[in-house]
Order: sequence, then C-alpha cells, then structure tokens
Amino acid sequence: MSDSAVQGVLYGSLAAGAIGMWLATSPRTAALRVLGAFLASAGLIAAVAMFSGPGGDVTNKILFWLFAGSALLSGVLMVTSREPVYAALWFALATLGTCGLFMMQAAPFLAAATIIVYAGAIIVTFLFVIMLAQQQGRSFYDYRARTPIMSIVASWLMLAALLWNFQAWQKAPMAAAGPALTAEAATNPFSQPSDVDQFDSLRALGLSLFGDYLYAVEIAGTLLLVAGIGAIAIAPRRAEGTL
Amino acid sequence: MTADSGCYLAVGAALFVLGGIGFVTRRNLILIFLSVELMLHGVSLTLLTFGRMHNNLEGQSFTIFMLTVAACEAALGLSLVLSLYQRTKSLDVDIWSKLSEPDLPKWDKPVQPLESRVLREERPASPRLTKAGGLPEIDDDFPVELATSTDPRKILTPSPPDDDY
Repeated sequence: MSDSAVQGVLYGSLAAGAIGMWLATSPRTAALRVLGAFLASAGLIAAVAMFSGPGGDVTNKILFWLFAGSALLSGVLMVTSREPVYAALWFALATLGTCGLFMMQAAPFLAAATIIVYAGAIIVTFLFVIMLAQQQGRSFYDYRARTPIMSIVASWLMLAALLWNFQAWQKAPMAAAGPALTAEAATNPFSQPSDVDQFDSLRALGLSLFGDYLYAVEIAGTLLLVAGIGAIAIAPRRAEGTL
Repeated sequence: MTADSGCYLAVGAALFVLGGIGFVTRRNLILIFLSVELMLHGVSLTLLTFGRMHNNLEGQSFTIFMLTVAACEAALGLSLVLSLYQRTKSLDVDIWSKLSEPDLPKWDKPVQPLESRVLREERPASPRLTKAGGLPEIDDDFPVELATSTDPRKILTPSPPDDDY
C-alpha cells in the first residue's frame, strides 16, 4: 500500500475503534455494547496491522496476532464490562496475551514472572477484595461510565499521536548497525548495545540486574518491605463480624 | 528501528490508552486500580521493545522494577480500598470526590471575595485542622448519613454533576 493509503486505513480504523468504544461504554442494550467492544478491538487490531508485522515465519505471525488480538480484545472488554469480577477475569486474559508478547520479545523470564505476579497474586487479591466488598451483588456505579465521550476523545487523540510518531520512526532511514539515533541518544548509556551473547538468557538478565542495578534492587526490596508493613497498618481490622 | 518492532509498540500504546480510558470512566475503586495495571502492561511491552531495539537488557531490568512497584501499589491500594469501603459500604469513587475542609474554597463553587469573608468572620482565626474524633462536615449537599449508616440499601448517593457529557 502507498503511504497515504496506510495513513487513511490507520486513521479510519482508529475512528471505527473510537465509535466502538463509545458504543461499548454507553448505557445501551447488551448486544450493542458487545458489538461496540468487538468493533473497538477490531479497529485497534487493524491499526496495529498497519505497522510492519512481526518478523520470522508463519508461526511467529500467527502467535503474534493471537496474543495481540487476545490482549486488545480482553483489554476492551475489561474496560467496558459491567461486572467487576468479569472485568478482573478479562484483565487476567489481557495479562496472558501481554505475557505471550513478552515471550516473543525475547523476555521469557519476565513473561513467567508477570504471569506469576499478576495472574497468580494480584488477580487473586483483587477478586478477594471484590468478593469481600460486593456481597450485595450489582451496584449502580458499575453501570454508568463517567464522561465516556471526553475520555475517549482525549485517549484516542493520544493514541493517534503515538501511532503517527511510530510511523514516522518506521520511515526513518535505518543505520547500518542498530537503530537510527540522534546524537544525544547515541551517547545515552541506555542506548548502547550490550555485549551479551545470549540476549534472551536468564544469565544475561541476572548479570544486568545484579551488576548494573544492584543498589536499585536493594532499594526495591526495601520498598516491598515498607509497602507490606504499610498495607498491614492501613488495612482495617475488626474484632467481630464481616467487613 | 528494527523491522518488526512497530507492531509491538502499537500494541503497547493501545493497551496504555485502553487502561487510561478505564481509569477515567470506571467508577469502581477496584476497577480503577485494575485499569492502572493495564496501563503498566502497555508500558512494560514498550520498554521491552525498546530494549530489544537497542539490543540491550535495560528494558527488561526496568520492567522488573515496574513489576515490584506494581506489587507494592496493589498491596497498598487494596488495603486503602478496604478501609474506604468500611466507612461507606460502597466502592463508588464519587463519594470521595468531595473531600475537603468546610472553610476552604470548593472547586465547583465560586470563591467569595476576600473582604466579605474577612468581614463576616467574627471569631478569631483558628488553625484549619479537622477536629480529631468528630465527624467532619464533608459538604453542604452531601448526605452525612452516608458516613454513619452501615446499611448499604439506605445509602442514597447524589448523582455527580458532570455525568452528561
């Protein structure tokens, strides 16, 4: 496709996605909301398809579209679902899709850690709190989105700006080795390619984490300890009865 | 930019924006937290893609720190949600949108000119601290029964004024 056709399809699919989000967040019938959610995710997937697809063979492409599609669809459904428990479960599915994308970006340890931390711990805690707090069933505040049109307009403007920027990057001439960088970015230590031989090995990640970021790891551990103590201090306790 | 990273960046941006929409539009405290986690997923994916583009491991290291901070945030946020729920028996975030001290200017009410306020105040100025122990007067048109009642069916929350955009 030519450049202008790509731009047209990109912004057209973004507009379709915005209309779908508006339908999905509005208080209409269930069929219209489901249709809106599917339209929104289809628009987002079509916008993603306007970028250069994943490299590799057919398996790679199939896996990418599977993971990206499930992440985007369940993200839309999570944002628009009226039941908090379903929203938490859709979020777990979005986490799984994102972890598949992590795996394809040569980060298998992070994929495993994210699944363990999010789907294993955080989702369970969220479901626990939802079931503690919403014992009387449906509540009215889950049924009315607040300022849907304005938030969709603002968010979609941001998305369009980001995607336009990514497209500009894609059209930039690629340097012979590595990405094309400006002079300031090339001197940034975070832009230097490291001399790891195995990029996706846990050993390289451990060397980076406990070599370059040793103090930060210690500070993060302290942060976890402080947050745990703070959570215990904040959490309400009652001698008798339920919450 | 390597050849295949554009689609990953686009997915990350889309996840971030979806989480942002959820953060603004949802009115359930817990779902607001979940939307923030969705935004964090988008940022993680973008960081990983950038790290892969530059062929180094900084993106993965940053993502591990993000995971740590997200776990801390979830723990603190859920305990805050529980203690807020215990006060009102509701997860509606609009209940907490009118928290302020009664003599401070409200964001949705016009501020009185300074002279009239000074003339009207007869008593000596006291430090603007909420009295400990007592129930603070939250707002004029806010039902105080909300904070004292424990029956969720008796609670009538006022519908927020900015609902009809």
